Amino acid sequence: MTALLTFQLRRVLRSWEYLFFTVVLPALFTVFFTKVFGGQAGSGAEYQDYARTYMVSMMAYGGLGAALGATIRLSFDRASGWLRQLRVLPVPARDVVVVDIAVGMLLVLPSLVVVALVGRFVNGVQLGLGTWVGLVAALWLGSAAFVALGMLLGLALEQKAAGAAMGIVSVVLAALGGLWIPVEVFPAGFRTVAQATPSYWYAELGRGVVGDGGTVLPVLALAGFAAVFALAALAVGARRPLHAVAG
Amino acid sequence: MTPALEIRGLTVRYGGTTAVHDLDLSIARGETVALLGTNGAGKSSTVNAALGLFRPSAGTVQLLGREPLAAVRSGGVGAMLQHGGLPSESRVGEVLRLVAGRYADPWPLADLVTTTGIDGLLDRRTEQLSGGQRQRVLLALALAGTPPLLVLDEPTSAMDVEGRQAFWTTMRDLADRGHTVVFATHHLAEADAVADRVVVVDAGRVVADGSSAQIKSRIAGRTVRFGCTDRAGLAELPGVTSVRGSGDLVELATTDAEATLRALLTTRDRLPDLEVAGASLEQAFLTLTGGTK
Repeated sequence: MTALLTFQLRRVLRSWEYLFFTVVLPALFTVFFTKVFGGQAGSGAEYQDYARTYMVSMMAYGGLGAALGATIRLSFDRASGWLRQLRVLPVPARDVVVVDIAVGMLLVLPSLVVVALVGRFVNGVQLGLGTWVGLVAALWLGSAAFVALGMLLGLALEQKAAGAAMGIVSVVLAALGGLWIPVEVFPAGFRTVAQATPSYWYAELGRGVVGDGGTVLPVLALAGFAAVFALAALAVGARRPLHAVAG
Repeated sequence: MTPALEIRGLTVRYGGTTAVHDLDLSIARGETVALLGTNGAGKSSTVNAALGLFRPSAGTVQLLGREPLAAVRSGGVGAMLQHGGLPSESRVGEVLRLVAGRYADPWPLADLVTTTGIDGLLDRRTEQLSGGQRQRVLLALALAGTPPLLVLDEPTSAMDVEGRQAFWTTMRDLADRGHTVVFATHHLAEADAVADRVVVVDAGRVVADGSSAQIKSRIAGRTVRFGCTDRAGLAELPGVTSVRGSGDLVELATTDAEATLRALLTTRDRLPDLEVAGASLEQAFLTLTGGTK
């Protein structure tokens, strides 16, 4: 299992696009949004609010992108025949699924930590040590909902659709969930849409941990999304075995 | 000793079509067997069901006396699938080591690399392999656990002529070392060159089963072609079973090419554009199935 985990981690990390979109881009956005909006702040306290909010939003953006990117790839392994090949090797496809979930969870951490470091040392976000640890831990656990969504998409979509989904789904979730532009400036209708996305609740969870709201509702919402996605993934997986070539 | 492969009453249906009809096949350990058939004859369905890739509609399969999946897990069976593949973003050596690490008794890597002819490819990215190289890497994966039984589904389909020859040389070596080799092919020449037993499959049934020589003699019709305008007496020549051809070109189907040629040479002064060719697999099937298709 360890050998398979190392193997799969190395494969994902070979993709420079993956590292760019899940670590570099969220880190750059953290600086960019904070300078643009925080620059108009009237006071130090107001700047802190902007810097903290955008850091949490970008941690959520990076985290969900990393979780989705690492797991939707399952579709490529089906298309290439690798999952089928594994069926005739003593590497059970079930292990591959378990390892892909582990890879998805593990690769969320670099995004979260890098954006947090940029928030702290570039933008000067001030939080207590316990809050920093709690923030990273909460967003790490919360990413399970997106790992489940990624597994669902990886199982359900054909290679081309999966390739497109890797880019589009995280962008749509980030935009609609208010990670780029805060929900407060959304029109009322869009605000309702935002509250129907897992990304909104993911960021809300982070904001709750840093003291900008409660954590109970976000935890319940994310757990609900995770359960729905996981059940749907199991249903799709049962209908379409991993070693099936197509259809 | 239990047979290497034992198939009883195998029936495979997809939707409304039946790909394999109540097929029985027993392969002893140490045999090299070709499953010969045209595309759609049911070879892949038989192989895939034998490997436990899907549950057949009826019948049982035992590999080395075990259920297919258990036999695969134990490392007793190595397989090359028609639609198998290698993982992207990885190097050949990484994939090989990952798979070898799963076996209790892996084939030593250096020897495996030489045996399968993938020297110098270990650091190559899987995306950069040619069709033939890919197949050889897949063969190395199939052999990684030193399996007593090898099952190959059209392993040379993506290879050029040289690749094919090298591949079958490797297969013969493996057979000589005592591996049981079962392979599906639609090339009569491949079956003839490698297998000591040929099982001809057509429309999901076994239509012939015997040594390569026996099968060849049953389907060893030859075609004699030459240019001629006067067809009188050709049908009565020794060995000739039919006279066809268009325009100035005559095609004689014969069961004894030598006798037919001798007779032709004594009765005719000239045989322009003379050609003697083996019967195609399609013609052979017509013979074997009695032309009932």
